[in-house]
Amino acid sequence: MRDILRVNMTDLSTTWEPVPDAWKLYGGRALTDAIIYNDVPADADPLGSANVLVFAPGMFGGTTAPNGGRLSVGAKSPLTGGIKESNSGGQLAHTLARLGIGAIAISGIPADPAARYALTIEADRSVSLTRVDEWAGLGNYETAAAIAATRPAEDRFATATNGPAGEAMARAAGIAISDPKGYPNRFAGRGGLGAVMGSKGIKAIIVSDKGAGFLEHADKEAFVAATKNFTKAIKEHGVSGTGLPMYGTNVLTNILNEAGGLPTRNFSAGSFEFADAIGGETQRATILERGGDVSHGCSTGCVIKCSRYWSDKDGNYKTKGPEYETAWSMGADCAIGDLDEIAELDRACGDLGLDTIEMGATLAVYMDSGAIQFGDAAGALAALRDGLADNVIWDGAEATGKKFGVARIPVVKHQALPAYDPRSVQGIGVTYATSTQGADHTAGYTITANILGVGGTVNPLSPEGQVTLSKTLQIATAMLDSLGLCIFVAFPVLDIPEAFVAIHEMLEAHTGTKYDIAALMQMGREVLTMERLYNERAGFTSADDRLPEFFRTDKLPPHDALFTVTDADLDSVFDFVPETAKEMGLQ
Amino acid sequence: MNVDIALFAYLSDYQPDGKGGRGARPFALEPGTTVADIIRTLGLPDEPRVVFVNGRHAADEALLAEGDRLAIFPPVAGG
Repeated sequence: MRDILRVNMTDLSTTWEPVPDAWKLYGGRALTDAIIYNDVPADADPLGSANVLVFAPGMFGGTTAPNGGRLSVGAKSPLTGGIKESNSGGQLAHTLARLGIGAIAISGIPADPAARYALTIEADRSVSLTRVDEWAGLGNYETAAAIAATRPAEDRFATATNGPAGEAMARAAGIAISDPKGYPNRFAGRGGLGAVMGSKGIKAIIVSDKGAGFLEHADKEAFVAATKNFTKAIKEHGVSGTGLPMYGTNVLTNILNEAGGLPTRNFSAGSFEFADAIGGETQRATILERGGDVSHGCSTGCVIKCSRYWSDKDGNYKTKGPEYETAWSMGADCAIGDLDEIAELDRACGDLGLDTIEMGATLAVYMDSGAIQFGDAAGALAALRDGLADNVIWDGAEATGKKFGVARIPVVKHQALPAYDPRSVQGIGVTYATSTQGADHTAGYTITANILGVGGTVNPLSPEGQVTLSKTLQIATAMLDSLGLCIFVAFPVLDIPEAFVAIHEMLEAHTGTKYDIAALMQMGREVLTMERLYNERAGFTSADDRLPEFFRTDKLPPHDALFTVTDADLDSVFDFVPETAKEMGLQ
Repeated sequence: MNVDIALFAYLSDYQPDGKGGRGARPFALEPGTTVADIIRTLGLPDEPRVVFVNGRHAADEALLAEGDRLAIFPPVAGG
């Protein structure tokens, strides 16, 4: 039995209710969507009382399912204006699930805007809201230390914390989730969900699962057998078994650079002269040289272990990764070719509570305005730390570009594009354009077939086949996000049929519910249908499913590529929505 | 004729000059040489790989030409 913890910040009440039967297979993204779809009016102010901030582990949260510990955080987004699910690693998903918590849903606004609250859930499920006004303005790392000082020595707990950017309700603010060592370095970064947390006066969520074990299963023997098959598939695939654990996500820098798809100097080129200096191979060698941690899971039960810690030149922990997205955004996109400078910017974003994708893209736009030069890491750090004081940096790429008069602003639905140029990787352009989430690479990661040769091959420079690729991956991803599985399990799933079968077997054995394997993909369609219908009600039209015009008009070196997928093709991605809505009894 | 060869991730151990690293190296070859010929010559492991010639995907049977840049990656991904 899973429960939803309802927290109302207007009257500071907390209540429990069971997850409705209709949502018995909904976890993670599906559950955050279902709550937002039903509870948040589409015209609600994202920073107002009617918005609901939801934290939900996936269906495999709290179990030993490999890579099953992802957390979904959802709300109406202050950045995109639409429904948002931001997905994070870290320990909180497992911790919530072990207490039988399907979701925390926070509504309302506190009477005192200066108040800061810690929401604490103990292992016996007692809940408290405590004033922590003295933590106002603390960075995520100081907040983590302050929380640790309040907990018993032998406690085991996970946190979600909000940095100064979220407290200032900046539209690029994310929410920090603690990793297995307690560092607040995993992020529900995208879409400004930290601002929603700030609007509700929540500085920290602290959940203890001391003494709680893994969850029980309807059929333990079958579950264990299926997890073994799933682990085997993950381990034997070259990407998840070797490439990711050895080099981390930043192994992508050199390959995207080679393909001419590494956005450089605010999306004005597709390759960067210092790519190798900021890439995963150099990163690994440097971490090993400095005695850092080169491979670990970002949450318990991860068997891929693509996370790592970056140490400074004295061997002291600085930040995680940096991940590929950050190495790109703070690196190539800003023409900064030094991993220590990138790590410094990453640390600042992590501490302030800012999305590194949005911030790197924002700083590149800021550089493109001429306010500072491309490659000026010190200037970028100063602009980042100034935040809202002298400019609009914390509100993201679009706000910054408009204020400083930049013509080339790489956003869709107001959210900055991630680390793949859609002119030389056309499939990801389809995902950026059409995703319910704004420009989001993880929503339908076509880099698989476009660049990496995983799950087949589709020519990245041609529009052919890109819509089918993106559509299939968007549906599959919505399903994985709902189960709480890391998106990186998609690599073995795409190439090894037994892996998908194992997911189905794990879910049946865990829940005791028998159903056709096709229902898994139907779950993905249902998630996207809720999101599309919500966004339509919020005013989105096909005009919002478009890339900025310059991707069709400005040729990208080295291939002189343009984005050439037609508008009609983009409009066909969600052709399944009316039928699925009918099947779900919606509208 | 000559092509430049760049090997990435752990494949950099197979650089033709034995010096490792990811910088591109010139490699002399006969006209009619294919990507597969180079892979055999370098003794790359028998596993899936991603091959680019001049920044575009290339099949094993692709013929190389003077001045081409050949880049080879093992199975990698991120996100």
